[in-house]
Order: sequence, then C-alpha cells, then structure tokens
Amino acid sequence: MSAYLNTRVSLFSGRLWQNGDFDALIGSPDADIADTLSDRGLPQLAAGYNNQDPLSLEQRIIAEILDETRVLIRPLTGDARNFLIYWTERFEISNVKTLLRGKMTGEKPAALLARLTPMGAFSRLDVQDLVHAEDVTELLRRLEAGPYAGIVRQARRAFEDSHDPFILDAALDRGYYEGLARRAQPLENAVGSAFRRLMGSLIDCINLVWLLRYRFNYNLPPAQVYFLLVASHYGLSSSRLRQLAALGSLDEILIALPDGLRREMNGVTEIHEVFARMDRMAADVAGKVLHSGAGAIARAFAFLILRERDLRSVRAVLRGRHLGLPMGDIKQALQRMPEGAL
Amino acid sequence: MFRAEPLLKIRLLMLATEAPDAALELARFGLFNPAEHAHSGYDQAFDESPAEAYREAWLQAESRLSKVVEQCGGLGELVIPADAAAPSLADLLELNDWLKEVWTTCLGEHEAEMRTQDDQRHLEALEETLEKLERLNVDIAQLLRQDGLLAVNIGSLPVISLKRVTDALSITGFLVSTFDQHNEQVYAVIAGPREREAEVRGVLSQAGWRELPVPLELRTHPQAARAWLIEERKRVEERAGVQCKVMDNLRGQYRPRMDEARLRVALARPLAEAALVGVRGKGGLAGVAGWIPRRRVDALRALLEERFHGRYLLDVAVPEAHEAAKVPSLVRYPGWLQPFVPLVKSYGVPRYGEFDPTLPFAFTYLLLFGAMFGDIGHGAVILVLAAALYRRLGRMAWIGIAAGAVSMLFGLFYGSIFGYEDVIEPVWMSPLHNPIHVLTVAVSFGVGFIILTLLVNVRNKFTAGHVSEALFDSTGIAGLVFYLGAVGSVVSLANASESAAKLANPAAVLAVLGIVTVAIFKWVETRAGWGERALVTAIETLETGINLFANTLSFMRVAAFSLNHVALALAVFTLANGLSTAGHWFTIALGNVVIIVLEGGIVAIQALRLMYYEGFSRFFSGDGREFVPLRLELERNKV
Repeated sequence: MSAYLNTRVSLFSGRLWQNGDFDALIGSPDADIADTLSDRGLPQLAAGYNNQDPLSLEQRIIAEILDETRVLIRPLTGDARNFLIYWTERFEISNVKTLLRGKMTGEKPAALLARLTPMGAFSRLDVQDLVHAEDVTELLRRLEAGPYAGIVRQARRAFEDSHDPFILDAALDRGYYEGLARRAQPLENAVGSAFRRLMGSLIDCINLVWLLRYRFNYNLPPAQVYFLLVASHYGLSSSRLRQLAALGSLDEILIALPDGLRREMNGVTEIHEVFARMDRMAADVAGKVLHSGAGAIARAFAFLILRERDLRSVRAVLRGRHLGLPMGDIKQALQRMPEGAL
Repeated sequence: MFRAEPLLKIRLLMLATEAPDAALELARFGLFNPAEHAHSGYDQAFDESPAEAYREAWLQAESRLSKVVEQCGGLGELVIPADAAAPSLADLLELNDWLKEVWTTCLGEHEAEMRTQDDQRHLEALEETLEKLERLNVDIAQLLRQDGLLAVNIGSLPVISLKRVTDALSITGFLVSTFDQHNEQVYAVIAGPREREAEVRGVLSQAGWRELPVPLELRTHPQAARAWLIEERKRVEERAGVQCKVMDNLRGQYRPRMDEARLRVALARPLAEAALVGVRGKGGLAGVAGWIPRRRVDALRALLEERFHGRYLLDVAVPEAHEAAKVPSLVRYPGWLQPFVPLVKSYGVPRYGEFDPTLPFAFTYLLLFGAMFGDIGHGAVILVLAAALYRRLGRMAWIGIAAGAVSMLFGLFYGSIFGYEDVIEPVWMSPLHNPIHVLTVAVSFGVGFIILTLLVNVRNKFTAGHVSEALFDSTGIAGLVFYLGAVGSVVSLANASESAAKLANPAAVLAVLGIVTVAIFKWVETRAGWGERALVTAIETLETGINLFANTLSFMRVAAFSLNHVALALAVFTLANGLSTAGHWFTIALGNVVIIVLEGGIVAIQALRLMYYEGFSRFFSGDGREFVPLRLELERNKV
C-alpha cells in the first residue's frame, strides 16, 4: 500500500504551485483564470471563480483539500489513517468555533448553517441539530456529548468561568493541536525523523506565533500564555517555551530562541515577520520531506501541508483580484501569509 | 411488478397563504413526491422562496419541541384529526416563541439540576478530602489568612491539566502540592507570592480549577467541618427537592398546550419538508412541483377541488427523456415479495423505466440457495427457526421460511436428509454420485442466467434511449451475439457428435462478429488520442471476453457447494463412526449444527453474491431515486 501512496503523492506533488505560477495567476486575464485553476487540479475553485462570495471561496478551498486528503487516506490503516483523518478535523473545529460565535451573536440557524464548511465524508458533527441549540451553554453541552468531548470539556470549563470568547477559541485550538501531537507520536516512532521534523516545524511555528500573539497582542500574563501553548517535545520544548513566556519583549524572545531558529529570525522586528519566516521554514521542511525517500505517510503529510499553503496563497490572489487590488499589493500579501490562517 | 409505475410531473400553483394547507393535503394524499422546479418557462419567473421562512420557523419549533419532550417525556400518542388545518406562518412563529420560552425555562431548570448533581458529587468528594485536610500538618487558619504574604488556594483540577498547571505556575513562583485524587479530579494546594496572585487566575480558570469552599469553621475548628458538611448536604438535597417540584410544576403547567404544539408542528411538517426541495413563488402566489402516479391524477384533482374550490392551478406533464434520471421509481410489490425488496435495494434503486429485478431475484436467489444447500432435514430446521423468530425478524423471516422450504425441495431431489444419502431415494440425482452432471447443469444455468441479464440490459438501454449501447456495447446485442457464439463453439468442441461439429463454424463466426462489433464500438466511443484509444479498445474488448467467461464459470460454485454439503456431512459421519454411541450422536448433532450455521451462512452469501455480481451488475445501474412521498409525521414509516 505504501507504494501506491508514494506514487499517488508523487503524482499529486505535480499540482503544487511554483512562484511563477502565482505570478501568472496574478497577471492572467479574468477569462483565463478558471482554466488556469482547472489545469492546476482545482476544479471546484475553477467552477466557482465567478462567485465573489469570499466564504464560498473558503469553503471551496477546503473542499479541494478534503478531496485530496480522501484520496491519500484510502490506502492507509491504523495510526497513519487516524492521523490524517484527525488532520482534517481542524476544519470541523473551525465549524465548532463558527457555531459558538453564531450562538453568542444570536445568528439565525439557516445563516449559521450556510457559513459552516461542508465536511462531506469527514463530517462527525450533527450540525443540523447543533445550530438549533438555544444558546452557547446548551451548544457546549451538546458538543460535550459528541465526538469532540475531550476538546470541548476543557473549553467549556474555561468559558463558564470567564465568558470570554477568546478563551474559548484558545482552549479549542490548544485541545485540537495537543490531540494532533498525541496522534503523531506513534508515527514519529514508526516512520522516523522525517515525520518528526514535519510535526516539529508545525508545532514550533504554532507555539511561537501564539506565544508572541498572546504575550504582546493580548498582553496575557506569562503563566497563562504558557498554559495556552501546545505541550511540545520538539525544537521549542515545553521548558524552552516556559522560559520564553517569561521574557518581556520580542527582542529578548528572539535572542533566547534555539540557535537554528535564532539565525532564521535574524533582522526580524515585527511579529508578522516571525509568522512569515516560520511559515517559510515549515514549507522548506515539508518540501524536503516530500522530495526525499521518507515514509509514505510523511510524504503525504508534507504534501498536504504544502498544498494547503498553496491554496492559502491562491485564495489571497483571488480575493485580491476580486477587490481590484494592484498586482504589487497582492504579491506583497503572498509573502506575509501566516501559518494557520485558514 | 417488473418496472416502476408511470409517473407524471405536476406543478400546483395556489395562493401563498394557502400553501401550508395545500402541502398538508398533498401529504394526506400520500403519493406526492416533491421535486425541484424546472429552470424554464414560468417556473423561472417564480424566483421567490415563500416557504423559506416557514421552514426556518418549523425547524426551530420542531427542534425545541423535541428537546422539551425529551426533558418532560411521557406525552401520549398524537392523534391528527382528518379536518385539521395547517398553521399559518404567524401561528408557527407564535408557537415557536412559546416553545422557546418553555425550553429556556426547562433548560434553566435542567442546568440547575445538573449543577445540583455536580454539587452533590463535589460534597461527597469533599467529605473524604476534608478528612485528609484535617490531618495535614499545617495550621489551616494561618495558611488561609487573607492578609498574609502567601496567597494560598485549596481546590481541585482535572488530573490531565496538573503537570501543565504546575509548569505554568512555576513561572510566577507558585507551587502546586497535591494531597488527594478522586476519579479524574486531583485535589491540591496552590501557594505563591500574594502580589502575583492576579497573574495565576487566568491559568486556573482555563485549567478548570475548582476552589474548595473551606468553611470558616474549618479554619478555626477543624472538627466543626463535619457539621458544616452535613448542613451543606441537607441544603443541596433541599435544593434538589425544590427543583424536582419546579420541574413537575412546569410539566403540569405546559402539558395541556404541549399536545396542541405537537399537533401544529406535525401539521406544518409537509410544507416545511416540501420547502427543502423548493417551493417557488411570486407575489401572493406559491407553487410546488413533484411527481405522482398517473393513475392518481384524477383523485388528486378531486381532492384539491373539494378543498380549494378552484383556487388553484394544476399543471400535469409527462416526464421528458432528459428528465429520466430525476424521476423517482415507485414500484408496487405484492405482500409476498416485500421481504426481498430490501435485499435488492441494498444494491441500489432501479431507475425510472428500468427493469425491476425483485421478482426474478426472489426466485433465482431461492433456487440457488436450494441447489447449494439441498437437504430435507437442514431445510426443515431453517424453516422452523425462521418461523419461530418471526416476531423478531419481522417480514425478513419469510426469506428464511422460503429458503428452508426450497432447501427441503432440493433435499428431496438429491435424496439427502441431515446428510444421510441412503434414507430416501433421490427424486432427481445425488450430487456426490453425479458430480460432472451437477457441474454441467450449474454452468448451463449460468449461461441461461447471463443471457437473460444481457437481454434485460438491452431492454433497459432501449428504454433509456441509448440505442447504440443497446446494439453494439459489450452488454448489448453485440455482446450477446459474441457470448452465444462463444458458448456454441465451446459446446461443439466439447461434444464429439457430428451435429455438434457442424455447429462449430457458424458459432465461431458469430463470436468473431460479436467481438469485432464490440471493439469497433469501443474505438468509436473512446475520446482520446490514438494510442490511448487503441489501448482502451484492446483492454475493454479483452475484458468483455474474460468477464463473460469468468462469470459463466462462477456458476460452478453452485455445483461445488452442493458437493461440499455432502462432503461436510461425510466428514461428520466419519468422525462420529469412530466414537461410542453417545459420542456418535453428539458428533452427528453438533456436526449438523455446524453445517447449518456455517455452510448455511456461506451459501446464503454466495447466492447473494451471484445475484449481485453476475446478475445485477450487468443490467442494473441501481442509481435510481426512491419515491419518497410527502407524509404526515406519524405515517412516515408507512411508505
């Protein structure tokens, strides 16, 4: 089965975008966009190009990702299969957040349903039932009786104390990524360093970005910042994160990073630059794993990371075009796409 | 019985205010399957969705009602009067508001009940915890002083958060010391510098920290804690009692209107369900589209006339060829055939106009089962068991009864009873003594079966307007000609008689003619470059021959299983004959149970497999739409 998956990943990797492809997309006349997208294996985006609803664009992008993930999952069994299925569940966690925010603002069920991302075969939530919850408390109780009970339970306790939507979102995100790291562990042991590097770049990026955001954008105290990060045994280990959280400025944190990361962050003065550099580093790692002889699941995961990064950029280009932004601005935006923006 | 009933597409236009009643009448009519509106003609002009708000309100009301019923429970059977009218949108909105009020009240009480239960559990844990707290070697009064330099918190948190909290709090100089654990909650003392206490609140809140309400008495007189706990428990129990009374009162208060609410929600369901497919409208008009059986058009007209007295427009049309895939299939089966319908539908629903295979399936399935598992004794056991389990299995038991009867019939043909071949004379033949004959009969049956499926496919293709496929495809006339030619050639080669030899050449010509026609058709149909076209044509033509050959040989398993049945019985007898009298009969009994359960199950699956893969896959697309009529809630299962 790994031969099949390897072949499939190699075939899919031909769909990845090069920088020149984005330039071509930015400069293409409107009439050619649908064909360009279709040629790059994005039929759903091509079909919906003329629909200017940005949410619809978002949903189509996720549908493309889910379609490709479904193909990659087909030959997998056991831990590898569970891992990739769980990887898709972050879109459903986004749906959970949308539901919660919708309930907080008293949004109508039909409008709320339209904003949710259709998960197709990956769906685990009964959204038809959940949208009819009367309020956040009832919704959280219902979610707690569902497949995301573990993640939601922690979030509910935190929310009941604070009634702060930010706390709710942060608790859900942390719960999700800790679950991901837990599911990755058997694969790291079985597949080896390639998979570990992928997970390391992903979790380090998330942790550093969250740490900076919570510490300096939301001004949370160090202990709380540390608590909201994902428990990690990668480059930015938990003990290192504890030290970093206690520091008082961006410069101090960047200096205290491990050597490799510190070199990459050379010259960075703004938090968004950290996002961009970490994102690029994660993409480099994924690119190397994809083109190496690593295990099939590692290559499949690397492809999915890169594919998602590409699609975020495609989304930026399409939105920029819909808004009539100058080409230069769109190109600049492409270099700033933060990790986890989907 | 062999094909779906002829349907007509109707479009019913009415006043938008009467749409709920019209949908209700269509639901009572019981044979209206809602469908999307066409994108042409006046359907295009009806660009509003007048029932959307109605559906939205109904969905909310239905959701609230089911939650309230779940909480309150105990509501009786709902009776829907024959002359009851559907609620208007305003009625539904008013009902929805009332249900919201009821549910909010219920939810509040329910939440309070849950909190009380939580408190009760907490107190139970606290009782044991305080015992340990009393034994702590510290001056608690001193420890919990609000004006000390040390901020101390005593409480519990989920055990999975403990390490993370300990690490996080260490940043602010706080220490965590655990002293007890109950299930997934760990009890701990958290202490650190008071000036940094505010910094840890966020972490504790996020970690699910629950402060232990250590009573003042405990701080000064630890022995008073027991009395405090008893008081606290009494207070929580009283609160629980009050909440029960409140819930009972609420049930009593709301129940009279709940029945009415259930009735209204049920009466509103038809329009809400129809709106899911699409109720279109413009101004004060609304329209629904859908399918009804041709034989019931006049009855529907009469019904609408009686109810709306001309305030409607019913447009009836025959489905056009391009709509065939969208037309649902409504097939009426006689009662005795009903048990076999789920087995056919588990493969797929026949398309509208397609041959419905349920009747031939029922006969062939039973025939194959009987042929593979022919034994009077075993068949009788299956028959009796299926009859005994009738209540549990429902209609499906009839399949077991019929399979048992056919197995008995074949047992009579084979002269086999509980594996004994020498008790009665076979009416036809014993498979064990005539294996070649049995194989020949099985393969001949397979040839006949495949010819039948090819003919059915040709008929289906003609009906669907796919004439070229019906004539030239591998499962069309050309495929059939090839198959007949190939079978003729094989028969003539296998038979030494002179008349058979004369058949060889014409049969071979027929086979070549058929396969060449199929190849040409594949070439013409493939849209690709020359190389790919050649490859596809070669592979698909080859596949035609291999498939038909393999499918025919597949029927050898019918003979193989009939032999297998005897062989298994012989194995049991051999084992039994080596034992004493008691062991002999025990082995015979046990062996027969194994044969019935194991071989019976395998044969049932093999017969189904033959039907699905050698039969259905050749002519039955199975992608049809089931006719799902609009119905009132309580009748939903009676489709």
